[in-house]
Amino acid sequence: MTSYVERQRKTKLGRPSEADLRLKNNRLGMTIFQISWIMVFLAMIIVNWQLRFSYSDWPPAGVAPFDPLLPSAATVALLLSSLLVKRGLQALRQGRIGGFLLDWRGAMVFGFAFLAAIIYEFVSVSNAALATQYGITMRLMTGFHFVHALAILAFMAHVIRRGAAGSYSGDEHESWAVEGTAKLWYFVTLAWILFYIVLYWIR
Amino acid sequence: MATIAVPLGGQAEQQEAEAVRRPALSDYLRWSVDHKIIGVQYGVSAFLFFIIGGAMAMGIRLELWTPELDLMVSGAAYNSLFTIHGTIMIFLFIIPMWAAFGNFVVPLQLGAKDMAFPWLNAFAFWLIPPAAVVVLLGYFVSPAEAGWTSYPPLSTLFSGDGQTLWALGAHLLGISSIMGSINFIVTIFNMRPPEMTIWRMPLLCWAVLATSIIAVMATPFLAGALTLLLLDRVAGTTFFDAAGGGDVLLWQNIFWFYSHPAVYIMVLPGMGVLSEVLSVHSRKPVFGYRMVGLSSMGIAFVGFTVWAHHMFTSLQPELRIPFMITTMIIAVPTGIKMFSWLGTIWGGKIRFTSAMLFALGFLSLFVIGGISGVMLAALPFDIHVHDTYFVVSHFHFVLFGGSVFAVYAALYHWFPKVTGRMMNERLGRIHFVFTYFGFLFTFFPMHVVGMLGMPRRVAVYVEAFQPWNQLISLSAFVLGFSTFIVIYNVIKSYYHGPIAGANPWRALTLEWQTTSPPPPMNFDDDPIPFEDPYGYGTEASAAYLEVVDEAFGVRSNRAGEH
Repeated sequence: MTSYVERQRKTKLGRPSEADLRLKNNRLGMTIFQISWIMVFLAMIIVNWQLRFSYSDWPPAGVAPFDPLLPSAATVALLLSSLLVKRGLQALRQGRIGGFLLDWRGAMVFGFAFLAAIIYEFVSVSNAALATQYGITMRLMTGFHFVHALAILAFMAHVIRRGAAGSYSGDEHESWAVEGTAKLWYFVTLAWILFYIVLYWIR
Repeated sequence: MATIAVPLGGQAEQQEAEAVRRPALSDYLRWSVDHKIIGVQYGVSAFLFFIIGGAMAMGIRLELWTPELDLMVSGAAYNSLFTIHGTIMIFLFIIPMWAAFGNFVVPLQLGAKDMAFPWLNAFAFWLIPPAAVVVLLGYFVSPAEAGWTSYPPLSTLFSGDGQTLWALGAHLLGISSIMGSINFIVTIFNMRPPEMTIWRMPLLCWAVLATSIIAVMATPFLAGALTLLLLDRVAGTTFFDAAGGGDVLLWQNIFWFYSHPAVYIMVLPGMGVLSEVLSVHSRKPVFGYRMVGLSSMGIAFVGFTVWAHHMFTSLQPELRIPFMITTMIIAVPTGIKMFSWLGTIWGGKIRFTSAMLFALGFLSLFVIGGISGVMLAALPFDIHVHDTYFVVSHFHFVLFGGSVFAVYAALYHWFPKVTGRMMNERLGRIHFVFTYFGFLFTFFPMHVVGMLGMPRRVAVYVEAFQPWNQLISLSAFVLGFSTFIVIYNVIKSYYHGPIAGANPWRALTLEWQTTSPPPPMNFDDDPIPFEDPYGYGTEASAAYLEVVDEAFGVRSNRAGEH
């Protein structure tokens, strides 16, 4: 009565190759990490939202609302940076290493421009705002986001250095580091857009 | 119910079979990316913390022997003792203990060579020792005394620096838990053999999947809450301080949004273990397989909607009834599991092995914990017994009567696979009797003192409660003693137990279709799962087990047992 086992041996479906499986695992793992870690950012949005109810007005009386001009410009820079990261990844997929490096270096310039604007926003919160949760939660959220953006920019610098040394090719199996870093940068962008809306537009 | 006496593995001819080479003990002390080594590392370290946390519980019970302070110098010292007891048991024992069984068993059940991310797996484990050092150091520096729930302002205005270290350690443990869970989800989705559809997956894998989904979605909230707590403690922010525009309820909301689902992180894998053990040791297919898998998911989903039932006394009154309703709804998927377990053993050829005894112990005790849970979900009752020993009793029935009994069932069930040797069944039964009755007489009377009004988390009490407390303490010492039986059994069996062979329980899931312990890459060839992981009692399953026995050189001499 081994028919079941034999049948299975005969009709056994092909298993994916080691390399294919690794890429598939990396991609799913990254997606789950993104879904998981965005929850911390959502938790901070909930913090901001719940603390609003400690005050009758938001921003609290006597506190000037933040000027959204510079953060908006920074958001545009971050979006451009993300777009360049995407373009660079496409260039790499087509085997154009030079195009990839150029796009990613540009992305880093925009990324640092974004960070500079955020640092300025962080330090220039007025004392009146800092006496209330309006300023404190703003510093919490931008500071928390800043740490992530800085870490991923460091990843990007590392990937660019290795890319210049010829470590990656158009084959998606040999450029997971690039794809993974790009996905983390999209994550940073999405997280910032959520924060940007909550901090500067929802009153 | 017919029961038959069956020799338990380790027959003479199996003794002769050559024992498979086991990893050296020193392999367990080093960095390794083998999921089997990591599983044992998780398990042994978690069990050490269980002993430490258990010793603390003995201290708590000793203090409560008399109504006055005697063992403790102050009420604050008592506060820090139960704080560290709860923290160790939850963050350093139960959650890592399920990671232990998940790590060891899940890749084997899936027929995989290892987890999806072996390096990440090892890294997640090695975060635990430093985190434990940080948390325990805090206890000796200036201990946290706000309970494992760390409600502000207790945790911001009153606790010492130990509270800061507590939060740092919990942060690390949370990150470890998230990384481990990502690994489980990817492994379960991507590493199954092509023949094993998701509906043919063993139920432990379903339970670990549901648990991991909860962990990746909820643990980040703990990270958020701990970040705020750390900032309030060291950076002068006022998130939880009403004087600075903060809100103490903010902590309760975010903390419980993690910690209620975390209750299911602590018990769902145990439920998965139960489905495995009950089915194998009663030789019956799992009753309602699909519904059991789906009910794990149901618990995971509904578990996110009930957190504020921990805050019935502090919540806006209009939100109480909705949370009461969602909490009661949790009883539905749990009830489905209960019916499935009873249906599984109903009419089966039950073998009262130690694993089975602990599984049946889980069944009876978890029902009590579940019923007291529904009682507590009922708002009028909850307000009456809020913060009394009734609550202490309830969650120990769930976490000890549930999780720890399932841990023991899993230990007796998979020990042969992990070490290649059988555990001593007689000692296992003695262990069960001491644990079961020690547990029952420790925690059941707490229902009564709770309803009589004895508050939890207080070292002194009204003299009238003393007889009850002495009964509880005596039983607790019996329960504490019972742990030494299993420790002795594990050590003795590791060295002198009978050789187990590949499949001592004649189980159909894939972890048994390889040597015990399995070779470094688990399977010599890609294993073929049987069409139904619980299809016991059919000719096809008997034939499958026959083939496996032939492959591993163990002659089947147990006719009639398929």
